[in-house]
Amino acid sequence: MTSMNASAAPARCPLIQLCYVRLAVQTPQPAAAFATDVLGLQHVPSDLEPFLYRSDQRYYTLCFTTDADRPSIGIEISDDRGLDRIAETAIGDGFRAREATRNECAQRVVRRAIIVEDASGNEIDLVLRPALSGRRYFPSRDAGVTGLQSVGVRSRAMKDDLKLWTAILGAKVTDRVGEITYLGIDKMHHRVVLHPSDKAGIVYVSFGVESLDALMQNNYFVEERQIKVLHGPGREPASGQMFVRFAGPEGYVFSYGYGLACVDSDHRPRQFTLEASSLCEWGSQCVDIAELQPTPAS
Amino acid sequence: MIELKDLSYVRFGTSNLEDAESFATKCLGLQVGEQSGKAVYLRSDDRAHTLCYFEGSPADQVVGFEVEDEIELNAAAATLDHLGHPVHAGTNTECGLRKVKAFIGFKDPTGNQIELVVRPERSGKRYFASRDAGITGFSHVGLSTTDPVRDERFWTQVCNARVSDRIGDVALMRVNAIHHTIALAPGPGPGVHHVNHQVESNDDVLRSFYHLSGQRVPIVFGPGRHPTSGARFLYFRGPDGMVFEYSVGVDAIEDEETHRPRSFGFEPSSLCMWGSKRNW
Repeated sequence: MTSMNASAAPARCPLIQLCYVRLAVQTPQPAAAFATDVLGLQHVPSDLEPFLYRSDQRYYTLCFTTDADRPSIGIEISDDRGLDRIAETAIGDGFRAREATRNECAQRVVRRAIIVEDASGNEIDLVLRPALSGRRYFPSRDAGVTGLQSVGVRSRAMKDDLKLWTAILGAKVTDRVGEITYLGIDKMHHRVVLHPSDKAGIVYVSFGVESLDALMQNNYFVEERQIKVLHGPGREPASGQMFVRFAGPEGYVFSYGYGLACVDSDHRPRQFTLEASSLCEWGSQCVDIAELQPTPAS
Repeated sequence: MIELKDLSYVRFGTSNLEDAESFATKCLGLQVGEQSGKAVYLRSDDRAHTLCYFEGSPADQVVGFEVEDEIELNAAAATLDHLGHPVHAGTNTECGLRKVKAFIGFKDPTGNQIELVVRPERSGKRYFASRDAGITGFSHVGLSTTDPVRDERFWTQVCNARVSDRIGDVALMRVNAIHHTIALAPGPGPGVHHVNHQVESNDDVLRSFYHLSGQRVPIVFGPGRHPTSGARFLYFRGPDGMVFEYSVGVDAIEDEETHRPRSFGFEPSSLCMWGSKRNW
């Protein structure tokens, strides 16, 4: 009976939140300095993972690790049953998924995790009960960071990756620019953006900031430190978010964002033309990141 | 006391009227209201003109303020004359060129050419911009000063301007509820320091930053935010070196009685709280 009722009711997204981003690095020290001195995040002392950083009330949202060959993103799932069901469906549809070891869970500061690989080869950690911290967030500089906000993900198999995100995980397509697809998992316009690419990986990791002032102050802050601004200051017409994207350690790109819109439950995905003004309505252009250029993916 | 009601216009001499018109329309985004062979009148709001370029020397820069009526105008002339400022009463032809009923011209203590005008013309036709810059109107001028303390005294004691805030000794002054209509700017001699137009939104400021950069217009300051007025701004250079500003979100002084001017240090963060650097 219960299962019939559940299937009749609109499926509630089992995804709770974007929890963290784990970035694989070769030399962690410069990345660590970047996390505190530039991004302004708070370092979390930990024996298991020495390079964990907080951006909000969560125990951590950014990890630099030398113990991985590729980046991964952590997504919280509502409960054990949801997690088992998702793992089963993913495996049934040909995706690789495995239960994380006790040690892997400890490293990620979660109770349980299933590590899924999308069709492009990106790792997605589906986690249960990610840790929060009782102490309030105390940033290492006044960057006005309010928390990990979204992540851009490269896809070389858009159709299958979208199937994983939507049909299996339950994320909603909120808007598209060409084939670039914004995915929502909560009331915000997007938490994950899939970008057609010829490789797997992370396009950018975005931290929300508290105001336009904070965004622009950060823009001049990174510029003064000769850190390359790769896109912006700009504004995404689809999400309303104002952003500055800039170069981080080992080729990673970080972003500050302000003004990400909420979407109504009756929001229907809109299709924006594939041109520069669909990615930035102010007129900024990105020349260094192929996935943020309005040219059809090869 | 001379009661300034509002800012009315700026008049700039130029050696190349065609270039000036091209900049004013294609870059700044104003509407041509009227054009004679010797002058072009540009609109930024419902007034018949707020900027006029005329054939002449680029050093010839005039700022016009509106006063209530001809009685006030005559009283102002007497006051200025009494203080030893030579006053020129506008002829009919000169009034026609300014689209006003009457005016007087004089120089402030630094030597800036100021005109006080009566009944500047409005236009029945609504303002239709030549590009989508989001301009809502001509709003304030920066006036060069060779002695900020002396000039503040002139504008606040001879005229009715009130100091809203100061950066070092340099006063931002209002004649109505808008945070400032006259911004003094230290300089070696007289001249208009910058001309401000308000735009609709922060988006417009940033859009123009990219648009004008693409047109190779020199951006001289911003995008930034003034901690004094709260306005987000962009400064860029136009013909004959004149600097123009777009801004949005200038505070209103809500309570005329209780407002006390704040003092900001004479340092870069007092001009821009975002961290942009001024390069002019």
